[in-house]
Amino acid sequence: MPVDIGDVKGHPVSEQPYQQPPITEAVIEIRFSEPMPTADLAKVSDTFKSTYPHEQIVTDVSVQLYFRHDTQNTAQAKAIEKRGHRRSSPDQTELVLLWPAIFVVSQLAPYPGWDVFFARFQRDWNTWKRAVSYKNISRIGVRYINRIDIPVEGRPVTHEEEFLNVYVHMPDELQPLAAWAVQGQLRLPDMGCKLTLNSSVVPSPLLGHVAFVLDQDIAKDDRPPQNDAEIYKLLNQIRDKKNSVFESCITDKARRLFKP
Amino acid sequence: MTSIITPEAPSASTAMSASMLASVDVDPKFMKIAHDIDSLLNQLSPSKAVVAPPETQVLEQQLFDALAAVKILTSQVAMHLDRELRQKFFQQLDSLHDVQEWEPGDEPIREASFATFLKAILSINPARRPGLGLSNTGNLVAAWTTGRDRLTIEFQPNDRVRWVLARYRDTDEPARFAGQTHVFDLGEGLAPHHPEHWFSHEERSDEPSQ
Repeated sequence: MPVDIGDVKGHPVSEQPYQQPPITEAVIEIRFSEPMPTADLAKVSDTFKSTYPHEQIVTDVSVQLYFRHDTQNTAQAKAIEKRGHRRSSPDQTELVLLWPAIFVVSQLAPYPGWDVFFARFQRDWNTWKRAVSYKNISRIGVRYINRIDIPVEGRPVTHEEEFLNVYVHMPDELQPLAAWAVQGQLRLPDMGCKLTLNSSVVPSPLLGHVAFVLDQDIAKDDRPPQNDAEIYKLLNQIRDKKNSVFESCITDKARRLFKP
Repeated sequence: MTSIITPEAPSASTAMSASMLASVDVDPKFMKIAHDIDSLLNQLSPSKAVVAPPETQVLEQQLFDALAAVKILTSQVAMHLDRELRQKFFQQLDSLHDVQEWEPGDEPIREASFATFLKAILSINPARRPGLGLSNTGNLVAAWTTGRDRLTIEFQPNDRVRWVLARYRDTDEPARFAGQTHVFDLGEGLAPHHPEHWFSHEERSDEPSQ
């Protein structure tokens, strides 16, 4: 059961270590082997109308380039546009995104805690399953995007290593950096998952602050579970892992910003 | 054959070029490379998915899209914003974009103007919530009223603000002051005029702010 303790800003939250978690977006994504027809997707979107009254059509345009070595005409380009449905709560903090082969539940800040978020995912997953016949799952992923806002407080330079354990290390003569971005990917063999970690400098939406993003995506695309019990078990394992990854990536000085 | 996915691909995690490749006859080595590249792409999150341009410009959808954009923008700073204040702002914004009251030719709120507003509000942190309005170009306008005295700030794109204040002293003619600054300098620009007169509850008269 979620423990509603409320944070310093009065947001209802389930039990979590920080009163002001820096999470800007939390995402659970289920991907399928086969896409569904556009008309069917619209019908599925309608089944979410009561919980997510607002709908926007979203688009994803990609380009395929073909180079063939056996013809004179060597290159061909093909634009591919996919359309999806984004449904949202009135305050836009709760989103569900429906693509032909992807089902996404997203929570924007203020983050209510895993228990609340996970319960919403379970509810929406059940809605999705009722509307769609069985589809083979090809990937299950959880993504947490954190933005750490650091008050400048008159300092000419903010040293990222005081707040993060993931950053670019440069020689002293090449300091300070105006911007940086790092990406790492590692296997999590105990869960059969892969972690993709991105960190970078981003503009802070607050005056007098600098900001770093810590974006982690933990996913299983090698024989992902197909039944609910195993899916939920995996998601909760990922939840524990993402918490430990996050804690290992930040320093105590950063933790103090989130009001533990 | 190769496949290039635009960096704006909206799915929450890895893109689909590998699955596209699967639809044609491709060497498995390329499939593996494409899959590995895909998994490194830093995808747009669901909140940043690209909204398709409407086939017909329906006013209700136009207003909703503008509101959705600024509410999503608010979520970016929601951890620093009082929950009640956030809800009140949303109520005001919803009211400003009421389809029934909408005047033809008006512009819905501009996201860039609202970004400037959020920066200012989180920096000033006024105890009193302002009344909100929209300029005819879609810039957000905030007004604080204390008695007959009035402070109005227009939040423009690119972190610019324009402010006008009218303050009555001992005469019926108000002293008027105006300025235009970067939002970072707003506090400094207002300081000589004692903005706490509008921002704090202590200075509040029996006439409420809008």
